[in-house]
Amino acid sequence: MKFRYASIPYLIWSAVFVLVPLGLVAVFAFTTQTGTFTIDNIARVSSYTPVFMRSVWLAILATAICLCIGYPLAYLMSRMSGVSQRTMVMLIMLPMWINFLLRTYAWMTLLENNGVINTVLRALGFGTVRMINTQGAVVLGMVYNYLPFMILPLYSIMTKIDDRVIEAAQDLGANPLTVFSRVIFPLSVPGISTGVTMVFVPAISTFIISRMLGGGSNMLIGDLIDAQFLGNAYNPNLGAAISMVLMVFILLVMSIFNQFDDSEEREGMLI
Amino acid sequence: MNENAIISLRGIRVDYDGEPVLHGLDLDIMDKEFITFLGPSGCGKTTTLRIIGGFIEPLAGDIFFEGQRINGLPPYKRQVNTVFQRYALFPHLNVYENIEFGLKISKLPEKERRQRVEEALALVNLRGYGHRNINQMSGGQQQRVAIARAIVNQPKVLLLDEPLGALDLKLRKEMQVELKRIQQSLEITFIYVTHDQEEALTMSDRVVVMKDGEILQTGTPQDIYNEPQNAFVADFIGESNIIDGFMHKDYLVEFANDLFPCVDKGFDSMERVQVVIRPEDILILPAEEGKISGVVESVTFKGVHYEMMVDALGYHWMIHSTRSVEPGTVIGMDVAPENIHIMKRDEEE
Repeated sequence: MKFRYASIPYLIWSAVFVLVPLGLVAVFAFTTQTGTFTIDNIARVSSYTPVFMRSVWLAILATAICLCIGYPLAYLMSRMSGVSQRTMVMLIMLPMWINFLLRTYAWMTLLENNGVINTVLRALGFGTVRMINTQGAVVLGMVYNYLPFMILPLYSIMTKIDDRVIEAAQDLGANPLTVFSRVIFPLSVPGISTGVTMVFVPAISTFIISRMLGGGSNMLIGDLIDAQFLGNAYNPNLGAAISMVLMVFILLVMSIFNQFDDSEEREGMLI
Repeated sequence: MNENAIISLRGIRVDYDGEPVLHGLDLDIMDKEFITFLGPSGCGKTTTLRIIGGFIEPLAGDIFFEGQRINGLPPYKRQVNTVFQRYALFPHLNVYENIEFGLKISKLPEKERRQRVEEALALVNLRGYGHRNINQMSGGQQQRVAIARAIVNQPKVLLLDEPLGALDLKLRKEMQVELKRIQQSLEITFIYVTHDQEEALTMSDRVVVMKDGEILQTGTPQDIYNEPQNAFVADFIGESNIIDGFMHKDYLVEFANDLFPCVDKGFDSMERVQVVIRPEDILILPAEEGKISGVVESVTFKGVHYEMMVDALGYHWMIHSTRSVEPGTVIGMDVAPENIHIMKRDEEE
């Protein structure tokens, strides 16, 4: 009973800062600027399908790249000595101590046509490569910023895989490849699911990365929503409608994804 | 090399961080025997087992399996299977899938796999548990699954690394009997590692007593118990009174200020020796009738027997007897000749 009272401040916090805003989003999404009920806002969202498709595609791409880079690294880390493990975790966390905007600005100056990389390339006689304001730059920004969110959950689940279980598999005749496919991979699935969620969700709704590294031509859903609230398009009702569609979409994708490995996750958590 | 040996170790050396763990181990393991490596922790027994399993490469020395040198062969190519300490079952697979793991890798057809898994389940008394999750099983049941998972592959040699260490006493005793039964019905070699001397004596055909990376004595449980070759073995295998003495001549030894007839010979005249007497072999007599007399210091009830500490001329004797004597009483003690075991003195001590 005592604990129940202790949770009251948090419940109030959640109500004021999560439930009320969500309710407001819903109210805005279904009303006109004068306050009468409408579904026009929701209907208008469909005209932004290309922006949605681009956001989904770039988020999938960034998530896949994060998984490909993060998985082997997380595995290697989990098999290192204690000191090396702590050092590696430190190195992965370190960039997060610097503000996200500053880091993205740094990438801008690196990728610019007159930036550091192109200066070096020109000096070496390769000519200028157009990097800034491309989809590639946006994906790079996403991967760079969200990679730690992929590595850390993978790493934490992999450190829980008992060395003796791996030895047991070898003992039963499994070569290194089979050990991976039959033991290490299945046991790491909960980490993959957490990592993918933690990269995919922020990646699909980002707007700073696309604006700073993607220029005007690579507008994402996040930019679209931002423009409705803070930009010259100012239309909070439409912005709210797009936000709602995006939230429903993310919820759907995540529930499908979690359905897929639900049973494994429950077992994995008990290790 | 011994003709009947299934595994032979020759001059095996292992170092951890420059510290020698095994120095030049030689051992022949016979086909179909139940052999136990017994010793305190850090004696190198588990290291020896892991060398046979292929998880550790020795610094020097050779391992032979049926006469073939198998140094450098990875674990998954060796014809041995291991029952690991604390089981190491696959948490993402159920009981059936755990046992089936090795068979699936060797690409056995489904029908034969099912039959072999069912047989293994029956052998470890777990028929009908196949669909269970690993974490629904008790410690003793998980241990059985681990055994089934290993033996289902029909290895010629089964390695067991303190498999009963995590179980409570009663279950451990049951499993000892069970393991011996399984070994006899499968007719394969069991190499068993334990620090529990009682376990070693109960199950083994042959016991290898190890200390500090060396083999101190190899023999049947009876040999090890009755004729320990040095004070460490005597002390480690059951409780013992170990007392300094002199060998006067063959069959006559002096200790505790008296002469005792014994059954040992072949020592130099007046050679300094150590005398081993088991606590249960000391007879309690009235004070004036015993060769040794002493004062009872303490009595502890141990279930089947009483354990008494008796002070005689400054040496504290341990006696196990079914009757108790009040502390403070003066008693006499004697030992039958066949219960006096003479050992050469440990040179290091």
